[in-house]
Amino acid sequence: MLGSLRYAACPSSRRLYSTEATKVPVKLIGELRKLTEVSITKAREALGASNNDVNLALQWLQKDLITSGAKKAAKVEGRFTGEGLISTAVLSNGAGSRSGLGHGGVRAAMVELNCETDFVGRNELFGRLAADIAHTAAYISEPSGSVTAFQEYSLDMLNDAPLLSEFQPNSQTSATVGSAIRDMIAKVGEKISLRRAVTLVENPPQAHSNFGLRLASYSHGSISVPTQGRIGSLALLALKSPKLAELLVSEAFRNDLARLERSLARQIVGFETMSIVSPAGEELETALYDQQFMMFPDNSSGATVREVLGRWGIEQGLAESEQGVDSGGLAVLDYKKWTVGETADPSTESPQ
Amino acid sequence: MLHWATSKAVCNGLASRVSFKSCQRSVWRPLVSGNFMARRGYAELFSRSKPHMNIGTIGHVDHGKTTLTAAITKVMASHGGAKFTDYNQIDKAPEEKARGITINSSHVEYETKNRHYGHIDCPGHADYIKNMITGAAQMDGAIIVVSATDGQMPQTREHLLLARQVGIKKLVVFINKVDQISDPEMLELVDMEMRDLLSTYNFDGENTPIIMGSALAALNGQDDKIGSEKIVELVKACDEWLELPPRDLEKPFLMPVEDVFSISGRGTVATGRVERGVASKGAEVEVIGLGNTFKTTLTGIEMFHKELERAEAGDNMGALLRGVKREQVRRGQVIVAPGSIKAVKKFQAAIYVLTKDEGGRYTPFMSNYRPQLFLRTADITVSLTFPEGTPDAAEKMVMPGDNVEMVCDLHFDVAAEVGSRFTLREGGRTIGTGIITKILE
Repeated sequence: MLGSLRYAACPSSRRLYSTEATKVPVKLIGELRKLTEVSITKAREALGASNNDVNLALQWLQKDLITSGAKKAAKVEGRFTGEGLISTAVLSNGAGSRSGLGHGGVRAAMVELNCETDFVGRNELFGRLAADIAHTAAYISEPSGSVTAFQEYSLDMLNDAPLLSEFQPNSQTSATVGSAIRDMIAKVGEKISLRRAVTLVENPPQAHSNFGLRLASYSHGSISVPTQGRIGSLALLALKSPKLAELLVSEAFRNDLARLERSLARQIVGFETMSIVSPAGEELETALYDQQFMMFPDNSSGATVREVLGRWGIEQGLAESEQGVDSGGLAVLDYKKWTVGETADPSTESPQ
Repeated sequence: MLHWATSKAVCNGLASRVSFKSCQRSVWRPLVSGNFMARRGYAELFSRSKPHMNIGTIGHVDHGKTTLTAAITKVMASHGGAKFTDYNQIDKAPEEKARGITINSSHVEYETKNRHYGHIDCPGHADYIKNMITGAAQMDGAIIVVSATDGQMPQTREHLLLARQVGIKKLVVFINKVDQISDPEMLELVDMEMRDLLSTYNFDGENTPIIMGSALAALNGQDDKIGSEKIVELVKACDEWLELPPRDLEKPFLMPVEDVFSISGRGTVATGRVERGVASKGAEVEVIGLGNTFKTTLTGIEMFHKELERAEAGDNMGALLRGVKREQVRRGQVIVAPGSIKAVKKFQAAIYVLTKDEGGRYTPFMSNYRPQLFLRTADITVSLTFPEGTPDAAEKMVMPGDNVEMVCDLHFDVAAEVGSRFTLREGGRTIGTGIITKILE
């Protein structure tokens, strides 16, 4: 601040910049940079081209970003991106949820956004972009109608989609996911790449059905936002019970269910999980159901996930008895677990 | 020196088998690595002719960190204080193992008139944190590199936060690529913005030296005004502004107790390697830790069955303690200059949890995990919890590979202070390593 006064006090020292028609006050450059975080040279160019009007310069920058962002993106194209974030967005987590889109349906997405260094990965702007992209993917997906719950979302389609912000749902911007990524490249000067996206959209079952879906999610290694981190998981659960509708009304049940879901999502992230059940006749440590459910708080006896789920179903009144598993219970239908950089291959993307 | 190496070999009964070649190597090695000798308890090699300091470069990938490092070695080489290390040789950031932990970092070294610098460059935040926790190369200062064409960037904040986190108190800023900016006012803006940002992150923004130059010009030997002269200026700024860490010899005396003997007619002798400071015969000392802290007098110092007047950092010594029974002193305690360090039972620490590839755990752990904590010679059961105010602390998990801040609650007290390092072990294997960040009790 003192500095800016210093500049204001000695305007005579300003020189005309040989190639620019108008002289650009340094104070305005500083101001423009606070608003946009563009580079110093770019801020100067923008002000020069718009007669030192900050508002005009902002418009100029927006237009210029399309070309300069693309140029910068082309420059960093060949570089290796092995850092970044896994970001999840859950718009509706299924049966019993009273908020979000579609009562009782499931709508969620998980994306991996990569950058070159974890310095950028830890930056707030980068985190917000990853969250917005996940939000967008969750928002625009359609129910697939296919057998598999999780759908790989086409990156080309996602890149062309308008970016919907989770934080400012009403903001009117013309930005697409692709252009927002290019803007980010221009700002941080690193290659940013959207590596993969998966979505999960299921419509709610018919009313008063004895069947319900729930979605569990967890992100590990979060820096500021709990929905994004180094490892992310989404798990789709099925609940079945003749009494499901009345159980879901109870807040105590919903709280217990949420706790179990968090434990399941953590278990998937924390342990090496390759499948839900082991192949017939085997008991693999990488199969979720055969793992000791270490992430469940009331499991001091070391019961497996299968045992805990069975017991939980009976205790909570989903199932009638041990034999009545067909009558009701809770099961993990499918899950996704992603780690940052696990699919990145340094040999195909040369480092610098 | 040759005499020492030979006598050592003779002592080991190896004289006949030691070839000239290996003999030569053992003479040569101590010159490169101070540790080699230090482990053997010979103090004289600790007193180097110039004080040593580790500094790092932090900055955006395109702002010329590596070029700057290469330029520094080149310019210092022309002053006879370094070996020129070219861009290609630096930019590898090879994986290396420090205490079994994989860290990506590249090192060069150079000397100025007053100091010897170890210069570190890591590719990422996590590597710098691991570096700090393991103490592989503790950074005592850093050069922040910013390009004049871009100015500070969004991630510059992360760079400064990192510097804070790894305990760096003072920085030097190098504004690179000034040849691409023709307007001096623009440079003043970069300067001003940088000072603002430094102050925001609690660095001394007003007085931090900011050097403007071109690392590439220095490397290519062009335009000395913004090239090599600026590198000289930068190194001088490091010499003058960055503070040397106190040397081991200047710190108050501390010797961890490794073993205790009772010698009839003389009394109780505690042995160990002096970690820091100097103690003279007859000095007042304090024995600290493991629930038993008391004062006594150092009535004798022995080394290699010879009596000495003085012991200093690096020495393996036996300390004869006045009026102390054998049972009063145990391995894990420390003998220190009175009042210089306190016994603590609870502290907060930055911990790195080893991955399974590094020999650590396969599975995550939760709050209330109880491994063994090894600090100096002490071995104490510890209970790990999350700091107060951590959201969902009861359900939070820590995975192998995580850097995490945790509260350590010890079964017994132990002499420790902020900056003390420790390892965590379970069932005979190291699962984590940490550094104390805050003393709680």
